[in-house]
Amino acid sequence: VALVATCALVVLAVSLTKISFGFTALALSVLMLVGGALRFRVLPNHPAALDSVALVAVFVIAGPWYAVAVSVFGYVAQLRQPSPIVKRIFNPSYRVLAAGGGGLAYAAVDGPVGSEVLHHIPLTVLAAVVGTVGHQLTNALLVSLILWLEGQVRVIDFVRSVILPTFFPMLGYSALGVLLAVTWIGGLNIVACLLVVVPLIVARWAMSQYQAERAAQAAAMRAFIQIIETKDLYTRGHSERVSIGVGMLGRHLRLPDDRQQALEHAGLLHDVGKVGVPTSIIRKPGKLDDTEMDAIRLHPARGVELIGNIPFLEEVKSAVLHHHEKYDGTGYPAGLSGDHIPYFARMIGIVDAFDSLTSTRSYRPARGVDETIAILIQDKTTHFDPELVEAFVEVIRTKGWTAAAVNQPVPDGSLQIIDHDDLSLGSSGGASGSAAGPA
Amino acid sequence: MSQTREFDEPRRLGSGIVLAVAGCAVGLLALFLTARRGLTEWPFAIVFGLLIAVGEMVQFRVDSIRNRAPIATSAALGYVMLRGPALHTPPEVAQIVAVAGVATLAGLFPRAIAGLPWDLVISSRRVLSVACAAITFVLVTPDNLAWNGSWTHAMALTGAMLLGVLSAGVVDALVGAGQDTEKFNRPFPAALRDELVVMTRIGLAMGISGMLLAAGTSLIGLWAVPLVVVPLLLTQFAFRRFASAQRTYRTTVRSMARSTEIAGFSSPGQNARTATLAVAIGNDLGLTPARMEALEYAALLSGVGQLALADPSPGGASLLRTREERQRAAEIGASVIERSGVLDHVAEIVRHSNDPYRHGRANNADIPVESGIVNVALAYEQLVGEGSGQSPDKAMESIGLGIGAEYDPVVVESLRRIVGRGFRF
Repeated sequence: VALVATCALVVLAVSLTKISFGFTALALSVLMLVGGALRFRVLPNHPAALDSVALVAVFVIAGPWYAVAVSVFGYVAQLRQPSPIVKRIFNPSYRVLAAGGGGLAYAAVDGPVGSEVLHHIPLTVLAAVVGTVGHQLTNALLVSLILWLEGQVRVIDFVRSVILPTFFPMLGYSALGVLLAVTWIGGLNIVACLLVVVPLIVARWAMSQYQAERAAQAAAMRAFIQIIETKDLYTRGHSERVSIGVGMLGRHLRLPDDRQQALEHAGLLHDVGKVGVPTSIIRKPGKLDDTEMDAIRLHPARGVELIGNIPFLEEVKSAVLHHHEKYDGTGYPAGLSGDHIPYFARMIGIVDAFDSLTSTRSYRPARGVDETIAILIQDKTTHFDPELVEAFVEVIRTKGWTAAAVNQPVPDGSLQIIDHDDLSLGSSGGASGSAAGPA
Repeated sequence: MSQTREFDEPRRLGSGIVLAVAGCAVGLLALFLTARRGLTEWPFAIVFGLLIAVGEMVQFRVDSIRNRAPIATSAALGYVMLRGPALHTPPEVAQIVAVAGVATLAGLFPRAIAGLPWDLVISSRRVLSVACAAITFVLVTPDNLAWNGSWTHAMALTGAMLLGVLSAGVVDALVGAGQDTEKFNRPFPAALRDELVVMTRIGLAMGISGMLLAAGTSLIGLWAVPLVVVPLLLTQFAFRRFASAQRTYRTTVRSMARSTEIAGFSSPGQNARTATLAVAIGNDLGLTPARMEALEYAALLSGVGQLALADPSPGGASLLRTREERQRAAEIGASVIERSGVLDHVAEIVRHSNDPYRHGRANNADIPVESGIVNVALAYEQLVGEGSGQSPDKAMESIGLGIGAEYDPVVVESLRRIVGRGFRF
């Protein structure tokens, strides 16, 4: 950080000697301020500013030296947020250096500056593209460096999830920077900002609304699951935990983002069809007779019926339908075996059983994680996909597991409510198992 | 708001035909005039025409925005406001309208062939408002005004462009509000207010993009076109993503509402019917789009609280239950909806949806009128909806008995109007 800050100071000092202070410098500073204030989030914790658009405009209007000098102002908008002193030094510093990187690139292709721009349009566009690339690359390099030093986030993940998806949009929006510069030079001066800011605000609004709608959908699904779980005190939070569990497993297996999300949705919704099972059966003490068992066996199909209209990936629906299939073909509803069971359904089956075993049931207390892992491994060829079991066990051993809260109702020996997910019971409980552990 | 109904209904609306005919007539007249005078500055005409056509081809749907082709609109407005130094003769009004009209048809044609949704009325609306913008801009702009680098000329041009864009926006809002009034029986002032709100957001953004396109092209020629179009395409992509997320969210809420049917607490389609009626009442009372959306969700979800009750009521008729039970179910439903953290207003509506008017809204102004709407919609649906099958008149009679005590008089009056206009499930 110290090195970055020193370099930045030197570059800044040099640039200050190269520019003249006056109305132009002031106007450009305002421009950078606006650019820095227009922030949006790529991911929940990675804000990105649209200051690169403003920076391109400054390259074209007044040249790289001005860009370096005013780039500090892009940071001012962030001053309101509290942040540690190290960040306060690093953030403006890397901005200055990134602007310098972009400026070098712009100068390297002889980008025109000021009123000569209007006569060299193709060259200006080329130089602006090169300048943006230079700026983005320096930026990415410096941030990756600092993340690597901090060691909290893997640099590869950062590059893949933040840099790559933002790179081309940034490049595209920098076209607006060129236009801003052109209209500025064409006589509008600072008023040109107004023309460019409105499309940028709309773009930002659309991006933030996307996140908002996604968050709203996730919240709505969670609330919905909670209503269904009010039917049975013992399964509270089960769907949420299964979703977290398959999420951990999916990340371990490095699923692409859209499938990872689909997997988590499927985990959350796998028991949604229980809403169609009469409460009297779910809460019934004692063993279930055949018709009651049939009612329970219907719940995967009910679930698909319910979520069928939601435009999820097809995998979500097949996972909900088949999450009670077993690897040896003795499950329901279709009796699929082996790799015929959809991938997501196999994953959910494992986590489903795991969470059920580590939760309290009316007829037995919760099992420990180690004991449950032993049961899973014992059953791994009959019930589960052996490879996925191994992967899941590895995930649990390295990352740990937050089991159901202990303040659930105390198990009552006189009650015999059977959880259909419970492996530790015979066929009456839904999952026939060889692993009836000593409860 | 049930934008989907607007979409599904065939284009048989009176004003729609008038608009389409007017659009075509204006377009033909402009084409005729242009053909006689000849096309000036044809490279610009062709590039902008192409842009309009492509924008029309890649149109998409966002629920709250009627105009589905922002790029076409921006391009058309941009073509309106072209000036020197890039152009020696700025395009005339007739030529502008002719280019916009022909390009729009050219863009719609492939969509119609490919079976994608298209709407001649909405496209005609654009041609008409572009004509307005062109007339305004030409009227207020002297011929010698050009982008020559001076501050005064640039500012004057920008002001003129702003006027042109605003006139297009206002005309479009008036037409849109008129259509809304006709289709959904919304009061005209409320419809106009909503249209103007939309115009100041998305409409202004499209207009400003058009201004940017015009200023840039006037200064540096056709190089400006890709510079504007690339960001516009990116923005449109962001909008498409947003629109699909919104659709997913809406179907999620609708599916949640169907859970009461699968659990046997309500008859098939009951929630949807109640919501349709509630939306019709909301339109009649002229609620804002945001409140309409909350109202629709509340009507759909008003029954979810029953899931926590022990056993379904026969046929889903919650009128048969005791009031205490219904209010308890509403309370449970509201607290569950509240927990989602994003539908707070919906939760508030659901919470009071079973309060009788006398104990609720009559004395407590904090209770939203939407609760009263849901209450009346639920009652009417149970009397008339499938299975119970009373005649609308008879149902109105029994609801009329509860006016002031059970039901909000304003809402019942609105329901009477709607049923009188021939509302059927």
